[in-house]
Amino acid sequence: MSGVLEKIGQTQDKWFVFLDKLESRMHEICTAAVPEIREVFEQDRDPYKRAHGHLLMGLRGQINQMRSKANEVREEKIFQFIDGITSELPGHGFFTGSHDRLYTFRIACINRHNLFEEKIAFYMSLLNNAAGEQDLEAAYQEQLQAFEAIRDQFSCKQCAGQMTIPDLFFIATYVTCPFCQTQNTFIPSTGAQMVLHQARSLAEQRTAHLLKTYEESKPKNSLLYRQYLRSMFDEWNKIVPDMAEENEKFYQRLLQDHLNSINHY
Amino acid sequence: MNEKDKTLSYLERLKQQAVNQENYGGEIKAEEAKMEVRDCPECGAGRAFHQGLTVCAYCGFKFMDIRLTDGLYIRKQNNS
Repeated sequence: MSGVLEKIGQTQDKWFVFLDKLESRMHEICTAAVPEIREVFEQDRDPYKRAHGHLLMGLRGQINQMRSKANEVREEKIFQFIDGITSELPGHGFFTGSHDRLYTFRIACINRHNLFEEKIAFYMSLLNNAAGEQDLEAAYQEQLQAFEAIRDQFSCKQCAGQMTIPDLFFIATYVTCPFCQTQNTFIPSTGAQMVLHQARSLAEQRTAHLLKTYEESKPKNSLLYRQYLRSMFDEWNKIVPDMAEENEKFYQRLLQDHLNSINHY
Repeated sequence: MNEKDKTLSYLERLKQQAVNQENYGGEIKAEEAKMEVRDCPECGAGRAFHQGLTVCAYCGFKFMDIRLTDGLYIRKQNNS
Protein backbone atom coordinates (compact mmCIF):
# COMPACT_ATOMS: atom_id res chain seq x y z
CA MET A 1 0.00 0.00 0.00
CA SER A 2 2.67 2.54 1.00
CA GLY A 3 4.68 1.37 -2.04
CA VAL A 4 1.79 2.31 -4.31
CA LEU A 5 1.39 5.72 -2.68
CA GLU A 6 5.10 6.34 -3.00
CA LYS A 7 5.06 5.42 -6.71
CA ILE A 8 2.11 7.74 -7.28
CA GLY A 9 3.92 10.60 -5.53
CA GLN A 10 7.13 10.03 -7.49
CA THR A 11 5.32 9.85 -10.83
CA GLN A 12 3.46 13.07 -10.12
CA ASP A 13 6.66 14.85 -9.13
CA LYS A 14 8.43 13.65 -12.27
CA TRP A 15 5.52 14.77 -14.48
CA PHE A 16 5.47 18.23 -12.88
CA VAL A 17 9.24 18.65 -13.17
CA PHE A 18 9.14 17.45 -16.79
CA LEU A 19 6.49 20.03 -17.73
CA ASP A 20 8.34 22.73 -15.75
CA LYS A 21 11.43 22.04 -17.85
CA LEU A 22 9.50 22.15 -21.11
CA GLU A 23 7.86 25.43 -20.08
CA SER A 24 11.14 26.97 -19.09
CA ARG A 25 12.67 25.97 -22.45
CA MET A 26 9.62 27.36 -24.24
CA HIS A 27 9.90 30.65 -22.35
CA GLU A 28 13.60 30.90 -23.14
CA ILE A 29 13.18 30.26 -26.88
CA CYS A 30 10.12 32.46 -27.33
CA THR A 31 11.33 35.49 -25.40
CA ALA A 32 14.66 35.38 -27.24
CA ALA A 33 12.84 34.91 -30.57
CA VAL A 34 10.56 37.97 -30.33
CA PRO A 35 13.20 40.58 -31.30
CA GLU A 36 14.56 38.27 -34.00
CA ILE A 37 11.09 37.84 -35.54
CA ARG A 38 10.59 41.60 -35.55
CA GLU A 39 13.98 42.17 -37.18
CA VAL A 40 13.39 39.57 -39.90
CA PHE A 41 9.92 40.99 -40.58
CA GLU A 42 11.23 44.53 -40.93
CA GLN A 43 14.13 43.51 -43.17
CA ASP A 44 12.09 41.15 -45.33
CA ARG A 45 11.65 42.82 -48.74
CA ASP A 46 9.36 40.08 -50.03
CA PRO A 47 5.78 41.41 -50.31
CA TYR A 48 4.45 38.18 -48.81
CA LYS A 49 6.99 38.36 -45.95
CA ARG A 50 7.99 34.78 -46.56
CA ALA A 51 11.30 34.86 -44.65
CA HIS A 52 9.27 35.96 -41.63
CA GLY A 53 6.82 33.13 -42.36
CA HIS A 54 9.61 30.55 -42.52
CA LEU A 55 11.06 31.71 -39.21
CA LEU A 56 7.66 31.63 -37.58
CA MET A 57 6.99 28.15 -38.92
CA GLY A 58 10.29 26.89 -37.52
CA LEU A 59 9.50 28.27 -34.07
CA ARG A 60 5.94 26.95 -34.10
CA GLY A 61 7.39 23.60 -35.05
CA GLN A 62 9.58 23.70 -31.94
CA ILE A 63 6.58 24.38 -29.71
CA ASN A 64 4.55 21.69 -31.41
CA GLN A 65 7.36 19.23 -30.80
CA MET A 66 7.19 20.06 -27.10
CA ARG A 67 3.44 19.56 -27.20
CA SER A 68 3.83 16.15 -28.88
CA LYS A 69 6.50 15.13 -26.39
CA ALA A 70 4.23 16.08 -23.47
CA ASN A 71 1.31 14.17 -24.98
CA GLU A 72 3.50 11.13 -25.51
CA VAL A 73 4.78 11.18 -21.93
CA ARG A 74 1.27 11.73 -20.59
CA GLU A 75 0.05 8.61 -22.41
CA GLU A 76 3.03 6.44 -21.51
CA LYS A 77 3.93 7.57 -18.02
CA ILE A 78 0.65 8.82 -16.59
CA PHE A 79 -2.32 7.08 -18.17
CA GLN A 80 -0.59 3.73 -18.60
CA PHE A 81 0.70 4.01 -15.05
CA ILE A 82 -2.85 4.68 -13.80
CA ASP A 83 -4.14 1.66 -15.73
CA GLY A 84 -1.38 -0.51 -14.28
CA ILE A 85 -2.00 0.56 -10.70
CA THR A 86 -5.80 0.29 -11.08
CA SER A 87 -5.46 -3.35 -12.16
CA GLU A 88 -3.44 -4.09 -9.01
CA LEU A 89 -6.01 -2.54 -6.66
CA PRO A 90 -9.15 -4.40 -5.41
CA GLY A 91 -12.14 -4.09 -7.78
CA HIS A 92 -15.28 -1.98 -7.49
CA GLY A 93 -16.95 -1.94 -4.14
CA PHE A 94 -13.59 -2.02 -2.36
CA PHE A 95 -12.61 1.62 -2.44
CA THR A 96 -9.51 2.30 -0.46
CA GLY A 97 -7.27 5.26 0.26
CA SER A 98 -5.26 4.24 -2.82
CA HIS A 99 -8.29 4.76 -5.05
CA ASP A 100 -8.73 8.26 -3.66
CA ARG A 101 -5.07 9.02 -4.04
CA LEU A 102 -5.07 7.68 -7.59
CA TYR A 103 -8.08 9.83 -8.46
CA THR A 104 -6.45 12.95 -6.97
CA PHE A 105 -3.23 12.09 -8.81
CA ARG A 106 -5.07 11.75 -12.13
CA ILE A 107 -6.84 15.10 -11.74
CA ALA A 108 -3.64 16.86 -10.62
CA CYS A 109 -1.74 15.55 -13.64
CA ILE A 110 -4.47 16.53 -16.07
CA ASN A 111 -4.78 20.01 -14.52
CA ARG A 112 -1.03 20.49 -14.75
CA HIS A 113 -1.16 19.48 -18.40
CA ASN A 114 -3.98 21.95 -19.04
CA LEU A 115 -1.79 24.70 -17.60
CA PHE A 116 0.96 23.60 -19.96
CA GLU A 117 -1.45 23.87 -22.90
CA GLU A 118 -2.42 27.37 -21.78
CA LYS A 119 1.27 28.32 -21.79
CA ILE A 120 1.56 26.95 -25.32
CA ALA A 121 -1.38 29.10 -26.44
CA PHE A 122 0.22 32.13 -24.77
CA TYR A 123 3.61 31.64 -26.42
CA MET A 124 2.09 30.82 -29.81
CA SER A 125 0.21 34.09 -29.67
CA LEU A 126 3.38 35.90 -28.52
CA LEU A 127 5.23 34.59 -31.59
CA ASN A 128 2.36 35.31 -33.97
CA ASN A 129 2.08 38.91 -32.79
CA ALA A 130 5.80 39.56 -32.37
CA ALA A 131 6.17 41.38 -35.68
CA GLY A 132 3.49 43.88 -34.76
CA GLU A 133 0.78 45.06 -37.07
CA GLN A 134 1.48 46.40 -40.55
CA ASP A 135 -0.23 49.64 -41.44
CA LEU A 136 -2.32 48.13 -44.21
CA GLU A 137 -4.64 51.15 -44.37
CA ALA A 138 -1.78 53.46 -45.35
CA ALA A 139 -0.58 51.00 -48.01
CA TYR A 140 -4.11 50.73 -49.40
CA GLN A 141 -4.63 54.51 -49.53
CA GLU A 142 -1.28 54.83 -51.27
CA GLN A 143 -2.43 52.38 -53.95
CA LEU A 144 -5.72 54.26 -54.41
CA GLN A 145 -3.83 57.51 -54.97
CA ALA A 146 -1.34 55.82 -57.30
CA PHE A 147 -4.21 54.41 -59.35
CA GLU A 148 -5.96 57.79 -59.62
CA ALA A 149 -2.70 59.25 -60.88
CA ILE A 150 -2.23 56.69 -63.66
CA ARG A 151 -5.76 55.63 -64.70
CA ASP A 152 -5.90 58.06 -67.65
CA GLN A 153 -2.34 57.61 -68.79
CA PHE A 154 -2.73 54.50 -70.92
CA SER A 155 -3.21 54.27 -74.63
CA CYS A 156 -4.42 51.46 -76.85
CA LYS A 157 -1.52 49.37 -78.10
CA GLN A 158 -3.32 48.90 -81.42
CA CYS A 159 -4.54 52.40 -82.36
CA ALA A 160 -2.90 54.57 -79.68
CA GLY A 161 -6.28 55.98 -78.63
CA GLN A 162 -6.44 57.23 -75.07
CA MET A 163 -7.93 54.77 -72.60
CA THR A 164 -9.23 55.17 -69.09
CA ILE A 165 -9.07 52.26 -66.70
CA PRO A 166 -12.62 52.07 -65.31
CA ASP A 167 -11.84 50.53 -61.90
CA LEU A 168 -8.95 49.65 -59.67
CA PHE A 169 -8.28 46.11 -60.89
CA PHE A 170 -6.15 43.75 -58.84
CA ILE A 171 -5.56 41.11 -61.49
CA ALA A 172 -4.82 41.28 -65.22
CA THR A 173 -8.00 42.35 -66.99
CA TYR A 174 -9.18 42.99 -70.54
CA VAL A 175 -9.96 46.64 -71.19
CA THR A 176 -11.67 47.44 -74.47
CA CYS A 177 -10.39 50.36 -76.54
CA PRO A 178 -13.35 52.71 -77.13
CA PHE A 179 -12.02 53.58 -80.62
CA CYS A 180 -10.95 50.30 -82.25
CA GLN A 181 -12.56 47.80 -79.85
CA THR A 182 -9.25 45.98 -79.36
CA GLN A 183 -9.01 44.01 -76.15
CA ASN A 184 -6.00 45.42 -74.35
CA THR A 185 -4.78 43.61 -71.28
CA PHE A 186 -4.28 45.86 -68.28
CA ILE A 187 -1.77 44.43 -65.81
CA PRO A 188 -1.94 46.20 -62.43
CA SER A 189 1.20 47.16 -60.56
CA THR A 190 2.66 44.76 -57.99
CA GLY A 191 1.42 47.09 -55.24
CA ALA A 192 -2.15 47.01 -56.56
CA GLN A 193 -2.01 43.22 -56.85
CA MET A 194 -1.01 43.07 -53.20
CA VAL A 195 -4.24 44.89 -52.22
CA LEU A 196 -6.20 41.76 -53.17
CA HIS A 197 -3.86 39.67 -51.05
CA GLN A 198 -4.11 42.02 -48.05
CA ALA A 199 -7.80 42.88 -48.36
CA ARG A 200 -9.07 40.49 -45.69
CA SER A 201 -6.32 41.47 -43.24
CA LEU A 202 -7.13 45.14 -43.81
CA ALA A 203 -10.84 44.49 -43.23
CA GLU A 204 -9.91 42.63 -40.03
CA GLN A 205 -7.79 45.56 -38.90
CA ARG A 206 -10.66 47.95 -39.50
CA THR A 207 -13.06 45.81 -37.44
CA ALA A 208 -10.65 44.54 -34.78
CA HIS A 209 -12.49 46.54 -32.09
CA LEU A 210 -15.67 44.55 -32.78
CA LEU A 211 -13.85 41.23 -32.50
CA LYS A 212 -12.32 42.42 -29.22
CA THR A 213 -15.77 43.30 -27.87
CA TYR A 214 -16.97 39.80 -28.73
CA GLU A 215 -13.92 38.11 -27.21
CA GLU A 216 -14.30 40.08 -24.00
CA SER A 217 -17.97 39.13 -23.59
CA LYS A 218 -18.62 36.47 -20.96
CA PRO A 219 -20.29 34.18 -21.79
CA LYS A 220 -19.36 34.67 -25.42
CA ASN A 221 -22.14 36.57 -27.15
CA SER A 222 -22.87 35.09 -30.58
CA LEU A 223 -24.71 38.22 -31.65
CA LEU A 224 -21.54 40.26 -31.18
CA TYR A 225 -19.61 37.76 -33.28
CA ARG A 226 -22.21 38.00 -36.02
CA GLN A 227 -21.94 41.82 -35.92
CA TYR A 228 -18.17 41.60 -36.19
CA LEU A 229 -18.26 39.09 -39.03
CA ARG A 230 -20.83 41.09 -41.03
CA SER A 231 -18.85 44.32 -40.61
CA MET A 232 -15.61 42.59 -41.51
CA PHE A 233 -17.09 41.18 -44.71
CA ASP A 234 -18.72 44.54 -45.56
CA GLU A 235 -15.32 46.21 -45.25
CA TRP A 236 -13.72 43.43 -47.30
CA ASN A 237 -16.33 43.91 -50.03
CA LYS A 238 -15.74 47.66 -50.03
CA ILE A 239 -12.06 47.03 -50.75
CA VAL A 240 -12.63 44.29 -53.33
CA PRO A 241 -16.22 44.77 -54.60
CA ASP A 242 -15.74 42.24 -57.41
CA MET A 243 -15.40 39.44 -54.87
CA ALA A 244 -18.63 40.26 -53.01
CA GLU A 245 -20.57 37.29 -54.38
CA GLU A 246 -17.85 34.78 -53.50
CA ASN A 247 -17.26 36.44 -50.12
CA GLU A 248 -20.94 36.14 -49.22
CA LYS A 249 -20.72 32.33 -49.47
CA PHE A 250 -17.62 32.41 -47.31
CA TYR A 251 -19.42 34.63 -44.77
CA GLN A 252 -22.30 32.16 -44.55
CA ARG A 253 -19.87 29.30 -44.01
CA LEU A 254 -17.91 31.07 -41.27
CA LEU A 255 -21.15 32.01 -39.55
CA GLN A 256 -22.40 28.43 -39.66
CA ASP A 257 -19.05 27.17 -38.37
CA HIS A 258 -19.35 29.56 -35.46
CA LEU A 259 -22.94 28.61 -34.67
CA ASN A 260 -22.04 24.91 -34.84
CA SER A 261 -18.99 25.27 -32.60
CA ILE A 262 -19.30 24.46 -28.94
CA ASN A 263 -16.76 26.92 -27.52
CA HIS A 264 -19.10 29.69 -26.47
CA TYR A 265 -18.07 29.79 -22.83
CA MET B 1 28.05 26.08 -24.03
CA ASN B 2 25.38 27.09 -21.52
CA GLU B 3 21.61 26.90 -22.15
CA LYS B 4 21.28 30.58 -23.05
CA ASP B 5 24.06 30.43 -25.61
CA LYS B 6 22.55 27.25 -27.06
CA THR B 7 19.21 28.99 -27.51
CA LEU B 8 20.81 32.00 -29.18
CA SER B 9 22.86 29.84 -31.49
CA TYR B 10 19.77 27.77 -32.37
CA LEU B 11 17.80 30.94 -33.11
CA GLU B 12 20.61 32.36 -35.19
CA ARG B 13 20.72 29.19 -37.32
CA LEU B 14 16.95 29.18 -37.70
CA LYS B 15 17.00 32.84 -38.71
CA GLN B 16 19.73 32.30 -41.29
CA GLN B 17 17.83 29.37 -42.78
CA ALA B 18 14.62 31.40 -42.93
CA VAL B 19 16.32 34.37 -44.57
CA ASN B 20 18.38 32.32 -47.04
CA GLN B 21 15.62 29.95 -48.08
CA GLU B 22 14.81 30.45 -51.74
CA ASN B 23 11.19 31.39 -52.31
CA TYR B 24 9.05 29.41 -54.68
CA GLY B 25 8.88 31.32 -57.95
CA GLY B 26 11.99 33.35 -57.07
CA GLU B 27 12.22 36.92 -55.95
CA ILE B 28 9.21 39.14 -56.63
CA LYS B 29 10.14 42.30 -58.50
CA ALA B 30 7.94 45.34 -57.98
CA GLU B 31 6.50 46.29 -61.36
CA GLU B 32 4.49 49.28 -62.55
CA ALA B 33 1.04 48.91 -64.10
CA LYS B 34 1.17 48.32 -67.84
CA MET B 35 -0.96 47.68 -70.89
CA GLU B 36 -0.38 44.84 -73.33
CA VAL B 37 -2.12 43.62 -76.41
CA ARG B 38 -2.12 40.42 -78.43
CA ASP B 39 -2.49 40.93 -82.18
CA CYS B 40 -3.72 38.17 -84.44
CA PRO B 41 -0.60 36.43 -85.82
CA GLU B 42 -2.49 35.53 -89.02
CA CYS B 43 -3.99 38.85 -90.14
CA GLY B 44 -2.40 41.36 -87.75
CA ALA B 45 -5.74 42.68 -86.53
CA GLY B 46 -6.18 43.70 -82.94
CA ARG B 47 -8.09 41.27 -80.75
CA ALA B 48 -11.53 42.81 -80.96
CA PHE B 49 -14.53 41.65 -79.03
CA HIS B 50 -17.20 41.29 -81.67
CA GLN B 51 -18.22 37.70 -81.24
CA GLY B 52 -16.18 36.49 -78.33
CA LEU B 53 -12.57 36.49 -77.25
CA THR B 54 -11.34 33.07 -78.27
CA VAL B 55 -11.31 33.56 -82.05
CA CYS B 56 -10.05 36.45 -84.22
CA ALA B 57 -13.08 38.53 -85.22
CA TYR B 58 -11.63 39.14 -88.69
CA CYS B 59 -9.94 35.96 -89.96
CA GLY B 60 -11.14 33.23 -87.58
CA PHE B 61 -7.70 32.45 -86.08
CA LYS B 62 -8.08 30.61 -82.77
CA PHE B 63 -6.45 32.62 -79.97
CA MET B 64 -7.11 29.82 -77.50
CA ASP B 65 -8.34 26.23 -77.67
CA ILE B 66 -9.92 26.11 -74.23
CA ARG B 67 -13.54 26.90 -73.37
CA LEU B 68 -13.81 29.91 -71.07
CA THR B 69 -15.78 29.51 -67.87
CA ASP B 70 -17.17 32.12 -65.50
CA GLY B 71 -14.52 34.03 -63.58
CA LEU B 72 -14.14 37.46 -62.08
CA TYR B 73 -13.99 39.41 -65.33
CA ILE B 74 -14.34 36.70 -67.94
CA ARG B 75 -17.67 34.99 -68.51
CA LYS B 76 -18.55 31.89 -70.47
CA GLN B 77 -20.43 34.18 -72.86
CA ASN B 78 -17.00 35.44 -73.96
CA ASN B 79 -16.40 32.25 -75.94
CA SER B 80 -16.56 32.90 -79.67
